[in-house]
Amino acid sequence: MRYEIRVEGHLSETLAKAFPELGHVVMSGQTILFGPVVDEAHLYGLLARCQSLGLRVMEMRQLPE
Amino acid sequence: MASAVTETHENAQGPTVPIIPAVPCADPQGDPFLRTRFALPARPATFLRRQRLVDHLDQARGTPLTLVNGAAGAGKTLLAADWAAGLPPPVAWLTVEVGDRRPGVFWAYVLQALRTCGAPASDAVGVPADATGVDQRLLATLAAELNDRDQPVILVLDEYDRVTDPEITEQLGFVLHHAGRGLRLVLATRTEPLLPLHRYRAAGELTEIRAAELAFTPEEAVALLELHGLSLPVHAAGALVDRTRGWAAGLRLSALAALESADPELYLKEFEADRSTVADFLLAEVLKGQPEETQGLLLRVSVLERFCPDLANALTLRTDAGPILAGLHRDNAFVEHLGHSWYQLHPLFGEILRAHLRERLPGLDPELHRRAARWLRRSGFLPETLAHGATAGDWDFTAGALVDDLAIGQLFTGLGSGDLTELFSPMGPEARSPAADLVRAARDLSWYDLDRGLARLRHAEEQLADDAREPAAARLSCALLEALAARLTGCTPRAERAAERADELRQEVPAHLLDKHPELTALLLTHLGSARLWAGRFEDARAALTAAAGAPGGASTVLPREDSMEHLALLDYLNGWPGRAERKALAAVPEAERAGLPRPSASGIGQLVLAAVAVDRHELARAHALLDETARLPSGTRDPVMAAGRALATARLLLVRGKARAAVEAADPAVAAAVASPWAAGYEALVASAAHLAEGRPDEAVEVLQGVSGDQPACAVEAAAIHVAAGRAGAAIDLLDSIRTGGRAGPAVTVRAALVRAQAAEQAGDTATARKLVAHALLDARRERLRRPFLDAGAWIRPLLATPPLHELAADWLTPGLPRHGEQPRPKSSLSPPLVAVELSGRERDVLERLARMMSTEEVAADLYVSVNTVKTHLKSVYRKLAVNRRGDAVRRARDLRLL
Repeated sequence: MRYEIRVEGHLSETLAKAFPELGHVVMSGQTILFGPVVDEAHLYGLLARCQSLGLRVMEMRQLPE
Repeated sequence: MASAVTETHENAQGPTVPIIPAVPCADPQGDPFLRTRFALPARPATFLRRQRLVDHLDQARGTPLTLVNGAAGAGKTLLAADWAAGLPPPVAWLTVEVGDRRPGVFWAYVLQALRTCGAPASDAVGVPADATGVDQRLLATLAAELNDRDQPVILVLDEYDRVTDPEITEQLGFVLHHAGRGLRLVLATRTEPLLPLHRYRAAGELTEIRAAELAFTPEEAVALLELHGLSLPVHAAGALVDRTRGWAAGLRLSALAALESADPELYLKEFEADRSTVADFLLAEVLKGQPEETQGLLLRVSVLERFCPDLANALTLRTDAGPILAGLHRDNAFVEHLGHSWYQLHPLFGEILRAHLRERLPGLDPELHRRAARWLRRSGFLPETLAHGATAGDWDFTAGALVDDLAIGQLFTGLGSGDLTELFSPMGPEARSPAADLVRAARDLSWYDLDRGLARLRHAEEQLADDAREPAAARLSCALLEALAARLTGCTPRAERAAERADELRQEVPAHLLDKHPELTALLLTHLGSARLWAGRFEDARAALTAAAGAPGGASTVLPREDSMEHLALLDYLNGWPGRAERKALAAVPEAERAGLPRPSASGIGQLVLAAVAVDRHELARAHALLDETARLPSGTRDPVMAAGRALATARLLLVRGKARAAVEAADPAVAAAVASPWAAGYEALVASAAHLAEGRPDEAVEVLQGVSGDQPACAVEAAAIHVAAGRAGAAIDLLDSIRTGGRAGPAVTVRAALVRAQAAEQAGDTATARKLVAHALLDARRERLRRPFLDAGAWIRPLLATPPLHELAADWLTPGLPRHGEQPRPKSSLSPPLVAVELSGRERDVLERLARMMSTEEVAADLYVSVNTVKTHLKSVYRKLAVNRRGDAVRRARDLRLL
């Protein structure tokens, strides 16, 4: 499965390294993290990582294959 | 034997069973690492008390459950700590850590938190001994004790989001529900716990403080900035609050960043317009403003959970951590003081700093973990040493730390055994030290992988022999594994050598290490005892096993104590004392249950003893159920004593059921053992002989009994019974006369011996003597409910039993309706007095009562506020205790036993 996670604000290059398995792109006041998600555990792990970095998740969705 | 029947007495209390004292397992000598987890976090000088939140939180004193929910850095911890500091005791505080994700560890810390705050649970509650589980009885007892309190305990669990196991939350819900007004639970958490919150909410039993309420108002923001020495008009603060959404960590960081700029107010204004993620941007700003050495220190300590100046110095290779940390704490930047000069990074900042570390000092991670591990080892923090050593991938060092601390036994037993095994699982072949080989050997042997385990053990031994500088602890660890290997290969001389060497090495090892690790000696003695038992050296075995069973209490020795107690039960059984054997086997069970060990636990010998006793009492369904329980245990096929015990019980059950062929097959333990076991061989021969007799070949039956001698009384009397049944009364009496009991033969021996002599007398036409001997046998057997010897005796005994006074002696427990060989006794006798002291836990009784009311599993679950799986677990244990397989039978049986 592939997912994209939209977080509020512009993510710095440094902090984006906390998500080495995902790509990221910054646009209009938001940062989109995207890439393959192995399983549900990974998905919840990503959410927890966002939370522990103080990121505000705006949207999260599965991408069509 | 002068007389075949001797009066036997034994202590009505049964054997003494060591009880686990409720020793604090989470408080080794006031370890500062641990003490800080039970202490209220200190509020920094810049902490702003917000009365509206304190007032709301104060409602927690009137509701069972309180939630403080909010993102990282929302101010949950400080709010709860500030409120709790103003409360009258007892207030228990526990900062949950990632390592507490297993139920056993979690509850050990909760119990410690209660003890620390002056509201300790009593010894009746016990302590969890296994990380993966905790006994329902422990939780029920804890809840009941809390419920009895006049004044409630307030228990604050901070960082509860780190608990990921739904089982823990379910258990917590159970305790909360049953503790009634005795417990007020406050959870500070980033994520909502999986408790039935709607139910608490509907009943008005929930106090909730959520993110929106935790957010700062513009007025509060102004007050907070003032504490930092910044003054901002309310309208400007409003914009800042909008930008940070009132997030406490964001406001704090913006104040720090602003203070570092030339014009703080302008800085804050510009920040409002910036679109970066708040924490990321602000933290980078604040970090940038710090001197180089401070930045270096902050980045490096981000790999640590907690640190003191000396440890930080070990990571930076400098000497200035003390003043830097004191300064950072004074400015309320990044670090929090835990007391006793220990600090931690604010969790949010720690995470971001690690991202910076990876970017600015790539590849330094492993080296930092290695430095931390070395410092921690020097300072005596073993678990942390192992964690950092493993993260650094420095396996020789990590294994060395474990072995030198004499902690290798913890791979087999105790709260941390699962975690330790997991910790070492990534260890690759590059680790070549003897310690690494010892750890590998321990792991393989614990899985019964003998070939690999032995090869590694030999390798480690060779290396240790080559290098005289290796510490005694490594050699002692080696001796422990040798003893285990000897037990598993049935090689008693090898076990003796290992034990002798261990005795010598114990003198060389520092005494405090031995005191710290009682499990090492307990395990070693258990293995030695098991090997001696295998070789038939019963009294030597008893000495070692009794010492192991009496090892100092505590979670770490529960397994070896239970294992040795079960071996002692087998010993009693083999000496012909079924009642004693049963009591010991059952005594081992509740102890392990209190400790939350899964049933049946590792060895399972106790279950086999119970099964064999059940066969002797002709309780075949129960024997069958007990054998089924042990069928899946890995030890069943690899541990010689266990395999022989299993062969014995299974074959005897099959024999009674008339399946002679299958019995002969099952009687072979099929283990490769270095030395022969006289009793295992004796019982195997007995089964073969009985099968021959049953199939009408008395000569062959007698032939295979050649090897059975009087050294094994229990075997010998049964062999004598076969002799006499085969028409060789003379040989039978000779065999009986050769029995050397040394005063240890129990009723199972004396009853059978009396019956053999009775049958011989009967064959000789001396009915009066026969009747007298049968009367003695009945008297001895009645107390133990030993039915099998009479059922096996054959047709000659029936007329005798039908006449007074024997009729009276056999009434109720043996007759009426002596079933024939291979038949179930009639219901009346099978339901005679309770077969074992059936003791249901309160919860099991609750479930059973609801079953009797015809409620479904789901309905019972709903009624008791527990999950369906919990109900099923209780059901299984009810079935086991009542020896039934269906709910209808369980209810009937419980009524018969007056449990309902």
